[in-house]
Amino acid sequence: MTGSNTIISLRQIKKSFASTEVLHGIDLDVHAGSHTVIFGPSGSGKSTVLRTMNLLEKPNSGSICFENREYGPGLDSAKLERGKPLELRRRVGMVFQQFNLFPHFSAIDNIAIPLATVTGISKSDARERGAIELKKVGLLPWAASYPSQLSGGQQQRVAIARALSIDPILMLFDEPTSALDPELVGEVLAVMRSLAESGMTMVVVTHEMNFAKEIGDQHIFMEAGNIVATGDANFFDNCENERARQFIGSVL
Amino acid sequence: MDNDLRINFMWHLIWDYRGELIQGLWTAVAVSITALFLSLFIGLVFALAKMSRFAFFRGLSTIYVNIFRGIPALVSVIWVYFGWSLLFGRNFTVYQAGVIALTLLYSAFFSEIFRSALQAIHKGQREAGMALGMTRIRIFRSIIMPQGLKIAIPNIGSMYIGMIKDTSTFAVIGLAEVVRVTQTINSQYFQPFVLYTAAALLYVAIAFLVDYIFKGFESTITYPSNGILYRFLTRKKRAHIQKLVDANS
Repeated sequence: MTGSNTIISLRQIKKSFASTEVLHGIDLDVHAGSHTVIFGPSGSGKSTVLRTMNLLEKPNSGSICFENREYGPGLDSAKLERGKPLELRRRVGMVFQQFNLFPHFSAIDNIAIPLATVTGISKSDARERGAIELKKVGLLPWAASYPSQLSGGQQQRVAIARALSIDPILMLFDEPTSALDPELVGEVLAVMRSLAESGMTMVVVTHEMNFAKEIGDQHIFMEAGNIVATGDANFFDNCENERARQFIGSVL
Repeated sequence: MDNDLRINFMWHLIWDYRGELIQGLWTAVAVSITALFLSLFIGLVFALAKMSRFAFFRGLSTIYVNIFRGIPALVSVIWVYFGWSLLFGRNFTVYQAGVIALTLLYSAFFSEIFRSALQAIHKGQREAGMALGMTRIRIFRSIIMPQGLKIAIPNIGSMYIGMIKDTSTFAVIGLAEVVRVTQTINSQYFQPFVLYTAAALLYVAIAFLVDYIFKGFESTITYPSNGILYRFLTRKKRAHIQKLVDANS
């Protein structure tokens, strides 16, 4: 299924760390405007799948198709032009579990400096864009603050603003609330919720099953390097896979 | 005339020869600062070689570091001044020999300082840069290097004090630094206590000054910083951010 509204598709992705294969051939399509949720137990490979989508992990075999370009080792059947990882990454935003803000830049420069270097616009213009993005996540008054002066929730909101500044057509979230104190989870989910409502295509790896249920319209349950169950928005109510049901039951 | 040498301290010699002593200190500082900049550059190159994906560069760096870290400054400078002259068929000035000798030794130390500082940066920093579409070079320049430098600076400061002290061994090739100057004066008056006290105090004073300067660097690149230099250097940037905050809120 590589219809015109498919943003990214993974085909037969296999990935090994040292001699251990952690992904055994993943097939996945993400459609424009959809909100894909990947969940499953620790070590199931969900983060690795997500990180493969912007090539932070290089698959050992298989193909990634994005905007009519093929990435990864590739498959003969794809018949697409090869793309450079940089081209893909400049169209895909990513939010990490540990925020990964740059500690030596203020909140606004965390957005402006990468933006200026990637797009070639002036630092001053990039800061103007940074101010707009910070305002969207409610952190404009903290523009001059350094990450060490912000709470975890605020840091993650800056990280989301930073990822959005490059105008991505796809946003990847790698357990964005797992490193947060429970009372700070809500503010980050609120930002993600409004992003989802704005129509952004999102792929989210998360343990927040209530949130997953709320925004997800494609659910992927992974275990031991395989996708073992998939479903639409109603997945949580009528899931037929035994393991997925058990997992959902234990987490919800 | 008093025959008891112990009480015949000619402290005025320090004042009489202040010009020569200060000139000697200046020579020590000039040689060591030149060597500092060269060592930082060469040390960084070897640190990057050590982290290269090519085994050849890693091996080269390991060999270089292990050899030159182990050579005493005295041996190094004699080797360069007398040995290299034979090897290259040209004579180095004492100044050049001093700079080369120090650079060989300290680039090895700085290589290790840079390597450990750069490796201390969490890999998430590099990944965040990659995810934003930054090139490897940009990531290194804007993200990894500034953070690594902050970790390295206190160690660079300590090393630089060591470099100044090591210039004292260059008296042996005739470089007119503090010890050579002191020796020359002492040979006329035989006042070792007075003159070497003066020499020691000069080294201590310069060590304090270097420490003060490097503390200043450190506070400037600490984030968030309250250093005066930091506030001065970033005043335009901070005004711009404030303007944007005001305009958008």
